[in-house]
Amino acid sequence: MIHAEPSQRLPVHPRSRGMLARFGPSNRKVFPWVLMAPTLIILFGIGIYPFLYSLYIAGHNVILSKPYLPRIFVGLYQYHALIQDPEFWHALRTTLWFTVQAVFIEFWLGLGLALLFQRSLRGASVMRVFILIPMILPPLVAALIWRYMFYPGAGLVTYYAGGITRALGWGEIPFLSDPTIAFQTLIFVDVWEWTPFMFLMLSAGLASIPRQPYEAAEIDGASSWRVFWTITMPLLRPAILIAVVIRTMDAFRTYELIVIMTRGGPGNATTTLNVFLTKTGLEFFDASKAAALSLIMMMIIIVMSFVFIRVFRSRTEAAE
Amino acid sequence: MKYIRIGGAMTATFALSLVTAPAVLAQTEAQKALAGAEIRFLQPSMPQFAALGKFIPEFEEKYGIKVIVDEVPFDQYRQKSLVEMQQGTGTYDFYAVDVMWLAEYAAAGFLDPLMPYVKNPDLTEEGYDIDDFLPRVISGTGVYNDTLYTIPLGAGPVGTTFRADVAEQAGFKLPERFSPEFNTQYMFDAAKKVNNPESGMIGFANIPGRWFWGVTYLPYLYAFQTPETVGNEYLDKDWKVTINNQNTIDSIDYFVSLKEFMPADSANWGIGEATAVYQQGGAFGVWNYQDFIKGFFEDPATQAAVAGKNVHLHTPSGPHGVIDPWFGAWSFGMSKDSKNKAATWTFIQWITSKEIQERATEFGAGPSRHSTYKSETLAKFQPWWLPVYDFMLKDTNPDERVRIPEWAEISDIMGEEGNRVWIGEIDSATAAANMETRMTAAMKKGGYYIPGRTDLPPQNWRDLTYYDRLPSQWK
Repeated sequence: MIHAEPSQRLPVHPRSRGMLARFGPSNRKVFPWVLMAPTLIILFGIGIYPFLYSLYIAGHNVILSKPYLPRIFVGLYQYHALIQDPEFWHALRTTLWFTVQAVFIEFWLGLGLALLFQRSLRGASVMRVFILIPMILPPLVAALIWRYMFYPGAGLVTYYAGGITRALGWGEIPFLSDPTIAFQTLIFVDVWEWTPFMFLMLSAGLASIPRQPYEAAEIDGASSWRVFWTITMPLLRPAILIAVVIRTMDAFRTYELIVIMTRGGPGNATTTLNVFLTKTGLEFFDASKAAALSLIMMMIIIVMSFVFIRVFRSRTEAAE
Repeated sequence: MKYIRIGGAMTATFALSLVTAPAVLAQTEAQKALAGAEIRFLQPSMPQFAALGKFIPEFEEKYGIKVIVDEVPFDQYRQKSLVEMQQGTGTYDFYAVDVMWLAEYAAAGFLDPLMPYVKNPDLTEEGYDIDDFLPRVISGTGVYNDTLYTIPLGAGPVGTTFRADVAEQAGFKLPERFSPEFNTQYMFDAAKKVNNPESGMIGFANIPGRWFWGVTYLPYLYAFQTPETVGNEYLDKDWKVTINNQNTIDSIDYFVSLKEFMPADSANWGIGEATAVYQQGGAFGVWNYQDFIKGFFEDPATQAAVAGKNVHLHTPSGPHGVIDPWFGAWSFGMSKDSKNKAATWTFIQWITSKEIQERATEFGAGPSRHSTYKSETLAKFQPWWLPVYDFMLKDTNPDERVRIPEWAEISDIMGEEGNRVWIGEIDSATAAANMETRMTAAMKKGGYYIPGRTDLPPQNWRDLTYYDRLPSQWK
């Protein structure tokens, strides 16, 4: 390798030398910011600016399909209007109920499967792949598949289930037409699609638990039930926390499944906050109300995640 | 001798066709200069657009203008079109415009007024004859604030279609269109007579899906009015919402009573589901829209189970003899952001010309011109249009679905509350009260109750002579 002698180096312009001194590696205060600048600019562009713009829109009166209405500052009116709107409260209740039910069932099913597959089963690796298929499917495709499975009179499920119930003299099961059954049908499909995620996360968590506590428990003659509650669950807590937080945030924002299968109906039985948001923003083009609603949704998700993390962390600390 | 006779007959036929055929449009010099242009059109997937689509290659060959068509399902159309329009990028040069959304598009300034193009001889071919359009059809589909924004491609009333053969087997004959005999009670009784789900025949395939009430329930809302309340179905003269009344409650109750004939899982049925059941021979009656009849019910190639067995009626009159006077229609509107306005208008005036409108009726498109109504092509291929000509001329009220930009929201509110009655969540009185509260909020948001506001649109639906102006008189 040939190194140039200092005297042979190209002359550096005094201005460039000044820039280097100000922003280069020698300036330990500024240089890290220089390195991070591209990332920060992108983050600002795609994260912070839209957030600030949402705040701006939510503070005004903007209806995109009515550009002739004056854009006036309305302060907190949009939030106030939402809180007064029974549709909002209905959608919030529906969303929370959907999230709680779906995540609860997915968690216990996923955990059960993970525990089952912890044992050495024949063909486990092939079965694992099959179990993961629903999660791999794009949510839109999964929703469409089930939409047609439950299609009134002609879907695979409605056809066979209808055949059985008719034979029993009960008539058709209104899978997507009865408010309660339609809601449960959506939960069923969500569970079908996302239990594999819980399974995957909890399997990884189980694999990371050391063997020694189990061996000690075995020597002490602890029952498997006691082992599960006193060793497995506490040591699995970090994995449970991540899996539950991710799934809760995801279930809270479920959109494709509901829009494809019921579009929020029948009536407004399956109208969640996301469906309500889309209707407000993209059917009535009320950008201000939609922005306020999306900010409220964001706050709810942040608070829920915070609560989860606090609860799990305090319990983990107590266990330690 | 035989050849001479045939030759003579051919000459006579040719001469006759020259006299009777619609005027063939001749290209103008300005149009010739447009060759090579490309225009984009956004349309919903519907039979009448499919019918007109068959003519696009002919247009492209004649003018050298390429037409690119993007199609989206009907229920996503408004959202897609409004998103595109408000972006102002001019992605689409022209749009299909439903009569019920014209006010929203036009008030927002998304469409270009068309009369300057109609009156431009460099772009509008001789023989286009704007006054050949039915006055109420062109004003109903395309006029907002006295200005012409769109040109219709066919406009017809909503109605009902019934299986004449099934009625005959049950021992009765269905009445003629507009017969006073055909009222809500008659329809219910007839459906009850033939209703037999065990043998695969339901009495009436109603459309209760939440997103369709603004189309399928309205005929009953009107039917249950008294002559005194006509025009005040939604709003009074001071824009106060009036929907919470006994007529609304009765009409919801009637609409929901048709549930008796439907399967348990039908609460979300839309036009697609109900029509499919009828097409497969599983229903005695179904809602229709005049432009759908050819494609959905009478095409022997695709609708073998029902084609030729139907009677097409109006929607039933109500207890006080009132029938639903509104019509539905699609039209072509030019985007204000189009970068190819001359080429776009060239297409619109060609596809809505006398010649193409008449020829398209063979494939299922509906008429909107006097000449098309009177043509042999229409009589031959879609005879069910002829009884509605007088209705479209004299009785129809194009503004029954109040022409205001808030219509989409009003329609959604009716659908949601009505569908809740269908599934048994609330009763019709609660639904009517909820409708009134929520519609009032929508009107308030639209600025209708700002004290002292003087620029509110006129309520033209109260004076039908407004729509009878000759088409060329609009701005």
